[in-house]
Amino acid sequence: MSVIGQSVTRPDALDKVTGGKGYPVNFDLPGMLHAKMLRSPYPHAKIRSIDTSAVEKLPGVKAVLTHADVPDRKFTPVYFVPTDTKSMPQDMLIMSDHVRFAGQPVAAVAATTADIADQAAELIEVEYEELPAVFDPEEAMQPGAPKLHDYSENNIAVAPVMEFGDIEQGFAEADQIFEGTYTTQRVHTCYLEPRVCVAEYDGTGGYTINSSQQHLFGLREKLADVLEIPHSKVTVIKPPYIGGGFGGKLDIGFIEPIAALLSKKTGKPVRMEQSRYEDMITTTRNPIKVYLKTGVKKDGTMTARYGHSILDTGAHATHGAEVINVHGFALLASYGCMNAKWEGKTVHTNNMIGGGYRGYGAPQAMFAVESQNDEICEALGLDSIEFRRKNTRRSGQPHPLVPMLKIDSYAMDEVLDQGAEAIGWANRKEANSDAGTVKRGRGMALFPFWVSGCVGFPDIYEHSGAIVKLNGDGTADVATAAMDIGSGQTTALLQIAAEELGVPMEAMRMVQNSDTTTVPFDAPTHASRVTYSAGLAIQAASNSAKQRVKEVAGIMLEANPEDLDVADGIVSVKGSPDKSVSVADVASRADSPFIQVGPEGPAPTTLEEKGTIIGMSSQAPPSNPSPIAAGFVDVAVDTDTGEVTVERVVYSHDLGKVINPNAAEGQVEGGFQQGMGMALMEHIQFDPDSGTCLTGDFLDYKIPTAVEMPADIESVFIESNEPTGPFGAKSMSEACCVVPAPAIANAIYNATGARIKDLPITPEKVLAALGKL
Amino acid sequence: MKKLIQLNVNGDSHEIAVSPETSLLNALRGELDLIGPKKGCDSGGCGCCSVHVDGEVVYSCMMYAAAAQGKRITTVEGIGKPDDLHPVQQAFIDAGAVQCGYCTSGMMMAAKQLLDTTPNPDEATIRHAIAGNLCRCTGYSKIVDAIKLAASRL
Ligand code: FES
Ligand code: FES
Repeated sequence: MSVIGQSVTRPDALDKVTGGKGYPVNFDLPGMLHAKMLRSPYPHAKIRSIDTSAVEKLPGVKAVLTHADVPDRKFTPVYFVPTDTKSMPQDMLIMSDHVRFAGQPVAAVAATTADIADQAAELIEVEYEELPAVFDPEEAMQPGAPKLHDYSENNIAVAPVMEFGDIEQGFAEADQIFEGTYTTQRVHTCYLEPRVCVAEYDGTGGYTINSSQQHLFGLREKLADVLEIPHSKVTVIKPPYIGGGFGGKLDIGFIEPIAALLSKKTGKPVRMEQSRYEDMITTTRNPIKVYLKTGVKKDGTMTARYGHSILDTGAHATHGAEVINVHGFALLASYGCMNAKWEGKTVHTNNMIGGGYRGYGAPQAMFAVESQNDEICEALGLDSIEFRRKNTRRSGQPHPLVPMLKIDSYAMDEVLDQGAEAIGWANRKEANSDAGTVKRGRGMALFPFWVSGCVGFPDIYEHSGAIVKLNGDGTADVATAAMDIGSGQTTALLQIAAEELGVPMEAMRMVQNSDTTTVPFDAPTHASRVTYSAGLAIQAASNSAKQRVKEVAGIMLEANPEDLDVADGIVSVKGSPDKSVSVADVASRADSPFIQVGPEGPAPTTLEEKGTIIGMSSQAPPSNPSPIAAGFVDVAVDTDTGEVTVERVVYSHDLGKVINPNAAEGQVEGGFQQGMGMALMEHIQFDPDSGTCLTGDFLDYKIPTAVEMPADIESVFIESNEPTGPFGAKSMSEACCVVPAPAIANAIYNATGARIKDLPITPEKVLAALGKL
Repeated sequence: MKKLIQLNVNGDSHEIAVSPETSLLNALRGELDLIGPKKGCDSGGCGCCSVHVDGEVVYSCMMYAAAAQGKRITTVEGIGKPDDLHPVQQAFIDAGAVQCGYCTSGMMMAAKQLLDTTPNPDEATIRHAIAGNLCRCTGYSKIVDAIKLAASRL
């Protein structure tokens, strides 16, 4: 293969190093107004009255919007499900007179400048009736707790249960039973480009919108549904790229419908950009408290597993209603234990709304699972790697999520063995065996089963499409709705197209000016799906264009199309490479006038040769192959200060086939940063009385900088060659974010003998665990 | 009350009207259409807005535009062009240091200042020089590689 497996340069890199024009944050329209929101200072309240009259008269103010002006239509904002899905509650409103979290929008102002809008919003007079608030999900489930929604009994939005095998029998067969409670905190994706949008009303009931989002068609559907207009009345512009997402832009925000309504009211385009504080209280990883109990035989065979998870979803269910299911799967079924039961609860509180974030419930689950797995190994004297090898699934077994499928590529042994080899697992010391104040330790964690998209899951969109169009100079333009959110989706998709078409990477170009009227539907950039699912669609479209290239070239070369090869931009007859024609000549011949006048006079071409060479696809993927990730870390723990430093990292990944090695490493390295932040430092915190966010900027919400991050991150990629994937590829970008927290916790145990089950593992918690606080 | 001020940016002199509280970042992006510096937090925490003022890296969100009068301001647009890249820009492309790219402008300004003053920085020096610039995509490894690569080419 000539393009797949190469670290080709990202086509968007040049623009990004010279200023970066393509971000939605730069989008500008003539006459554009700027809007800002007034947000509630109270976590739970009823709005008694709201007086905007004084504000409306201020110079520069063009329109004000309150809950009275928005459709009273409940919805789920999550992009990857239909708005009225039966699988998730519809409990969101654009604005409401019932405030359920501190920071909920209660009014919005459009003005000639953002400063005027901001100042005007603050002058709106609102009379609130404060209601008792509840911030702890366990308290929220108690009788008599403040009630947030009519439909959620005891504030429980959803309560899924998963069960298979015979759990009682399983525990009865165990030689030993282990149990523990593991908690994770609220962390933010910290995309650096804020949520921002520009909406424009067209005067006849339609809207055009540009927004920093992870799903072009999701925004179209959600905005149309919440405004109660047909989907085709909303056109979503596809930005060439956005400034990060990580799951944090996987739902319609308040800004898009509010900007649209303000645009309708004023007849002008309206821009809304969130401040970092507003972003910090707009979707996070849901905190989950997990109780986990495992039965094991002396030889390490798991006989039963039981789990119970309480997820704090905040004021509205939104993603929390689905995160809980994915979390339950990771907790119970990512390993192969056949007797298992899990009960989950997604609970409303007066906290901020949760959301999507890389791993989508799995990081919370695997922190519990992989911590407890190591506790089991420690107690039974088993090796961490052998214990995991014994209890994971194998290729050929049924797919645990999609019963009609079986597990195909799945290189568990190679992942474990090559990772162990690279870190030097055999040299791991006994726990707490260093004498000095700084103790070193080595730990690992495995994420044995995950997804490449969502095929087979109820109510979740999972199909992709593409258009590949050849130009007369041998280049090709590719159009797709798959969003590049920073991780290099465009690059990987163009590599797949180039390889399939048989042209060099430089010949490929992603269409820059497209929108929902010109590209086929694609599911979101989420769930590790783009390389696999959108990649397959791009490959199919490229293949159909290639077939057409061969047909035209066959006429030109007087050869049977089946006897032709296309590589490096040249179509040649198999076995006689001299008999060839360039893809450029084929494409221009197809696009030429019917009668071409050459030096010898007019010469007709044939009807069969005519017509722009184009390939199209729209299709669902055939499978949902699992990647595997194992993370190995070396840490140093200063037992005087409690400070933990990660010194070295090895990742071992079964990702099917590496499309772009440099980009794949970049995913792993970035995934580790997010996982390490969750493990050691990141934590959105609220004032316990008022419910307001105390960590609204990067001075209070710390993420790892280049100084805290380890310099030594090694990626081992195992190419198991997924038979259903594009050139053998499956997914990778979430699994690498799941393993860091438990690997670090396990390494801290190995260093100090202290087991910390509550994230983040701050210096205070380390010192407390060492009995020094 | 807006006032006319004179800003010298990337070698050009501009006269713009700003309020006393207008940040340099908002003046550059809003008044001069220099969209290279990015707003990631507007509160001195991320470094996306980094520019050079008289050769020093500053967070342009934390400086009043009026305070930058009479100083030499350089944004990413001033260090190279698509057909004439600065070695730092070329190295960020070649090393794969660009993912979403939102941090990239500011990150390169921090890197350039380091290399302007320290020709062959070691790993720790590089990491400290960019510690005021957050990146959420890369884990910094390839950014550090890019700065080493640029140093080797300068
Ligand atoms: S925008 Fe200036 S430091 Fe973040
Ligand atoms: S490349 Fe996305 S924040 Fe650095």
